[in-house]
Amino acid sequence: MAEATSVPKPELKAVPGPSPVAVTVSETAEKTRPARTPRPPRPNYRHIHRFPLPVNVHHVPSVIPHNPLSIISVALSYLTFLISPPRQEIYTAYFDSATSSVHVTDEKTIRALWEMGFFGKGSLSRSEPNWLEQEKKRRGLMGGNTVEEATRKRRAERRQLKLERARHEKLAVEERLKAEAAARESGSVDGSPIDAGAEAAAILVERFSVKKAMEAKYHERRQQALQNKNTSESADSSQAANASSDLPSPIVEKHEAVSNSSARHQALDDELDLETLENEEHLQLSTEETFFLVYALGALRVVDRNDNAPISTSSLLSLLRRHSYYPPRPDSSQPEVDDPFMISYVVYHHFRSLGWVVRSGVKFGTDYLLYNRGPVFSHAEFAVIIIPSYSHPYWSETEERKEYAVNKQARSWWWLHCVNRVQAQVKKSLVVCYVEVPPPVPSSADIGGEIGRYRVREFILRRWVPNRTRD
Amino acid sequence: MADADEDAVRGTTVEATQIEVDLSDETQDFRLLNHLNFLTDTSSSSLPRRGEKDFEPNPTEFQADVLSASRQAMHNALAHPRLHNPKNQVIAIYAPEGPPPPPPVPPGQDPGKTSGRGASVSPDACVYVPSPKGQYFKNMGQADRKGVIWLLPEEALYLLERGSLDIRWPTSITGGTVEEGSEEEELSIPMSLQAAYACFIGRGGLTLERFTVFSSLKRIGYAISRAPGWDDSSSVEDSADEDSRNAYTQPVTRGAGLAGILGSIFNWINDPKSTSSTAAGPVIGYGIHRNYSDIYKKLAQIPWHDPTTLPTRNPLSTKPPYRVILHVFKPSTFIKKSALPPPDFRIAVINTREATTIPTLPELSALLESTPLDPPKGEKMDRQMYLRLRHGYRNVILAVVDQGVTSFLRVADVAFGRERLYESVGGSLGPKKAGNFRKKKR
Repeated sequence: MAEATSVPKPELKAVPGPSPVAVTVSETAEKTRPARTPRPPRPNYRHIHRFPLPVNVHHVPSVIPHNPLSIISVALSYLTFLISPPRQEIYTAYFDSATSSVHVTDEKTIRALWEMGFFGKGSLSRSEPNWLEQEKKRRGLMGGNTVEEATRKRRAERRQLKLERARHEKLAVEERLKAEAAARESGSVDGSPIDAGAEAAAILVERFSVKKAMEAKYHERRQQALQNKNTSESADSSQAANASSDLPSPIVEKHEAVSNSSARHQALDDELDLETLENEEHLQLSTEETFFLVYALGALRVVDRNDNAPISTSSLLSLLRRHSYYPPRPDSSQPEVDDPFMISYVVYHHFRSLGWVVRSGVKFGTDYLLYNRGPVFSHAEFAVIIIPSYSHPYWSETEERKEYAVNKQARSWWWLHCVNRVQAQVKKSLVVCYVEVPPPVPSSADIGGEIGRYRVREFILRRWVPNRTRD
Repeated sequence: MADADEDAVRGTTVEATQIEVDLSDETQDFRLLNHLNFLTDTSSSSLPRRGEKDFEPNPTEFQADVLSASRQAMHNALAHPRLHNPKNQVIAIYAPEGPPPPPPVPPGQDPGKTSGRGASVSPDACVYVPSPKGQYFKNMGQADRKGVIWLLPEEALYLLERGSLDIRWPTSITGGTVEEGSEEEELSIPMSLQAAYACFIGRGGLTLERFTVFSSLKRIGYAISRAPGWDDSSSVEDSADEDSRNAYTQPVTRGAGLAGILGSIFNWINDPKSTSSTAAGPVIGYGIHRNYSDIYKKLAQIPWHDPTTLPTRNPLSTKPPYRVILHVFKPSTFIKKSALPPPDFRIAVINTREATTIPTLPELSALLESTPLDPPKGEKMDRQMYLRLRHGYRNVILAVVDQGVTSFLRVADVAFGRERLYESVGGSLGPKKAGNFRKKKR
């Protein structure tokens, strides 16, 4: 599809300007749709995200058997590490009990956690914490566009196209009504001429699809861009005037007017606090991410918000377990073996330990999304839903436990179909991940032993369309 | 970034819908039936193009005309006389008692495997065709030793419904006194469709849901046979549940011997204070890490299920409705009725009004373990990890019937643990080349 070629994923290598590759891509796209205005070069994601985890790795020089010098260099590298071990950075985050979430406010930590393993989410951004950058661009302090802006623009464009299409359809209907009325007045008995005209108009409406309109739009814009190149900068303002003059419907116009005035206000505000622009965004870590960083990697230290006292790993676990319910359970409560946190953490840990970048799947109605290397490199291919399973004989020993287990693992078919259809629409594979809940045991200090008692089993679910597997 | 996902949604909607939209799901514009030439001319085979849908009613007469034209076209198509050549007429007779019992099978011989005519007539068959002809009996029905073909209730109902079979009431029910011979067929009473539904649904385990699935697949060309699990009441005790519990990987422990000692020495050099602890964390310790693979190996703490280690269990040891009841063959598969090839698809039929919740792990795992191991094979699968994962190691199709609406779901047993993503990360293969992108369809 042309769409896929003209909107490529972030390239692995940075493309400085229009590289030969980009040229060929746009050429092939030209046949189906006009090329877009060239994009600014992408950051070198491959370099920025070269570490998969926020842990330092020091490679050993390789040993070459027939070269004794290489052995010496290996020994030397070990020796230097023995004498002066390199410091492993431990980042700090704080736990906010009111919102049951973990926040990072330190700029450096935010960048580190995002760049090495894609942990957390910007509290004011869609994903990557880039609110400050967005804000600067919005106020004209920086060039280029943020992804949020691009999306906003795209959405506005699409909306306008739809309005335009609606207007065309309405016009066609009105014309038809007029023609029909005229035909009735003239009292023509044979409806064939009307029919022919009607047919033609209907075809006109049918032709006016969003896709076609978009293509036309791009043509127009490209031509305008060419003109702009030739003429002076004044073309810019005329273009803007053009755009506002041929707005299709009064609704859009009104809306535009409102946004214009608000923009003016905004501009005034901006002038006032241009100097004092500071980052108001923090990174929010999910509870699973936090515990993984603390317990598995040792790269994070969580402190209490109130008294800045560090929270130990074991008390962090019980804290997060209590806060996986709403409202959070009291401090005195006993942790349960099927605390939602335990089940979701086990799955998180499992996929992280295999090298996947695990992020929340809430926008697609699932528990997790699995990215290969990271969201800047490729789309998530898998969406995971977690279902606890009480298959251990312990859970069917008494009637009470049986009933409890049945209630806990029941999911309706409709829910499953819903999730499945959404994933098919966004081209992801649905992974149903069952977590076997072990029987409860008296709590121990051995976290590894505890999470090792849960077992995971994955199934992939896909719609089967018999018409397409017939061969 | 998140916009990546939105791009996917936006850029691929058309393609996704092309894949996902099943033509049979849509409301058809029946005007196109008028353009179909099958009524007059059978030689031309071009299909008409569909127009765009009107989503809202408007006051134009044009729309009303289109609507009535469409309605009329449908009526015309339905009212078109369908002719049955008497030469092709196949007459069958309903036998409420079922086929005569087969001669006793010598002990030690599996009745299902004995080849030859007559040995394999199912006791559930209830319609026989004295003089079979036509293409339908190539993959339906079972011949007894006299050459009479016996049909299972679903097969008889399907053929009757599509007008290919004329089922007659037996004289034992109608009480007619006709002499033996060919005249019996001419004088006996044909069975109506309603009567056929009343007689066959509920017979020999045939539920309406099973028939819905059977006939819908049959209509689009698949060949179908009953699987051993068809009969809900037959079951086998199996200790496979225990096996399936043992098919989980155990958390890694350090090996003994020289490798283990060397490993612990290196471990000590890298982490002299031995800060690594799975009990209190951090699992990987604060020491020096040599590469990310080692880190990931240390993190492997959660036991996961490995589907390749399990033996295939008896299909009868599963619990209905989560058991394979239909074997489905693609139209291209060559079918020999006496020796069926391995099926292309295995189907379990679920009535959502009885099984209101999705299967639990033991139910689903037993169902999958009753199917043979079908690991990803082929050059393409070897190359592309996503394809491998999507294919899985065992697979089964659930036909979920909700009040007559069937959704087919393919369930595959995957093992993400068998694909160590971290080992391929950092290689020269980018995610795009590793099979992320599905082939574009034009």
